[in-house]
Amino acid sequence: MFIIRIWNYLRGYAIIIVKGLKIERFINLAVVNNIYIWDIEKLDYTTVKAKIGLENFRRLRDIVRKTDSSVSILNKRGFPFILRNIRRRKLFYSSLFLLFVFIYIMSSFVWMIEIVGTKNVDNENILRCLYNEGLKEGSWKGRLDRRHIENQVLIKMPELSWIGIQIKGTKAVVEVVEKSEGPPLISRTDACDIIAAKDGVITKLLVLSGDPLVKDGDSVRKGQKLVTGTILRENLEPRQIHSIAQVSARTWYEDAEEIPLQQIGYRPSGKVARQYKLKLLDKEFSGKRSVDFKDFNEYVEERHLISFGDYVFPIKLIEYRFEELVPELKTITVDEAKERCAERLNARIKLRIPEDAVILKKDIDYYTDKKSVKAKISVEVLEDIGVKQKIY
Amino acid sequence: MGKRSYKLREKLSNTFELPKDIVLDVSKIIIIGTGQITVENHKGIIEYSEELIRINTGSGITALHGKNLAIKTIFQEEITITGEITNIEF
Repeated sequence: MFIIRIWNYLRGYAIIIVKGLKIERFINLAVVNNIYIWDIEKLDYTTVKAKIGLENFRRLRDIVRKTDSSVSILNKRGFPFILRNIRRRKLFYSSLFLLFVFIYIMSSFVWMIEIVGTKNVDNENILRCLYNEGLKEGSWKGRLDRRHIENQVLIKMPELSWIGIQIKGTKAVVEVVEKSEGPPLISRTDACDIIAAKDGVITKLLVLSGDPLVKDGDSVRKGQKLVTGTILRENLEPRQIHSIAQVSARTWYEDAEEIPLQQIGYRPSGKVARQYKLKLLDKEFSGKRSVDFKDFNEYVEERHLISFGDYVFPIKLIEYRFEELVPELKTITVDEAKERCAERLNARIKLRIPEDAVILKKDIDYYTDKKSVKAKISVEVLEDIGVKQKIY
Repeated sequence: MGKRSYKLREKLSNTFELPKDIVLDVSKIIIIGTGQITVENHKGIIEYSEELIRINTGSGITALHGKNLAIKTIFQEEITITGEITNIEF
């Protein structure tokens, strides 16, 4: 039955309304005359809705005359009518078709490169490297040899330890893993000394192997040898070993900051100017780009105008937003200045102190005069300052 | 078709186990659930309304009672009716 329905659809059919008193006779006559009608529904006592193939419609005329009924077409359905419609609106449908072809072609290029996983390496460098290997915005997906590109990039960028290129829609997602940088590891079989990484006063020296050169309470300079791996004993040949030691030492960190009491602050005035730029592939279309604000913050936002999930197309709208800033002379109180000093100093010093260090003492001294507040921070910490150094 | 020839053909079909709907020219009714009925070997419809459809068959009139009855397809020898069928009368 399904096949018959498809066949009817392809041939085209009409939905007709038959009115008359002898509906049953109408149907019987149609059947006898080999006129196929289907989906017959009674609407009311004298009317019936039915479907009939196009080629049979004319043949109903005789039956209509015989049964004193009337037939009207309610609707025409099926492929021939769609075809006729398409033929009538040739331009519309052909441009629709071309649009699909265009989108299909466009979606077979890479239009966006996303780099995931970078921490210290500049994305620009990776992009440049990818560009040289042939992966850029606008390269054809079919021509990309991902393995080759990955290998080449790894060779050319030694700071990466792994790279994976995935094509998702029109996006190329480049995942990278950077080489973790630490002190060069010295193998246990190599002889080494231990030197001081920083200035400090040794509080506890625990030597597991090697000969100590300093003792607890000694103050040492950066680079000073603390434990030697060269063992000298009477009546024995000098030999070199891999020395191991824990060197706890007190170290100091210092920093200073000055904050003037009179400050020029910038406050947004609320005036905002926007400018737009359309970027198609590498071509940019823009209006005038002049701003008559004296001081302003500039924000740039890029948006892909057309994107379906991972399918991104290379039309970008770039919005420049300028927010006017008004300079404002502000006088802050001494306490405020102190607070600000402390905040900045704490934040800065935190970056320099290693994470596993224990802070023993923290002092901030303030010196106030008429114009500004100066502050000095000194932090005393306990940390391991021993660093292995290979003996050559 | 006289009564004698009908009896003869009935015997024939009983003896040789021939399908009766062909030999005797009677209707074969297929009911699917309560929603669809197919009558084969019909001789045209006599009455058609939403509640009642009467179909002429070789062995008399078959009446179908129900609601929203519609003729799904109709051919020379087969008619399919859909709708909520409640009664079938012979």
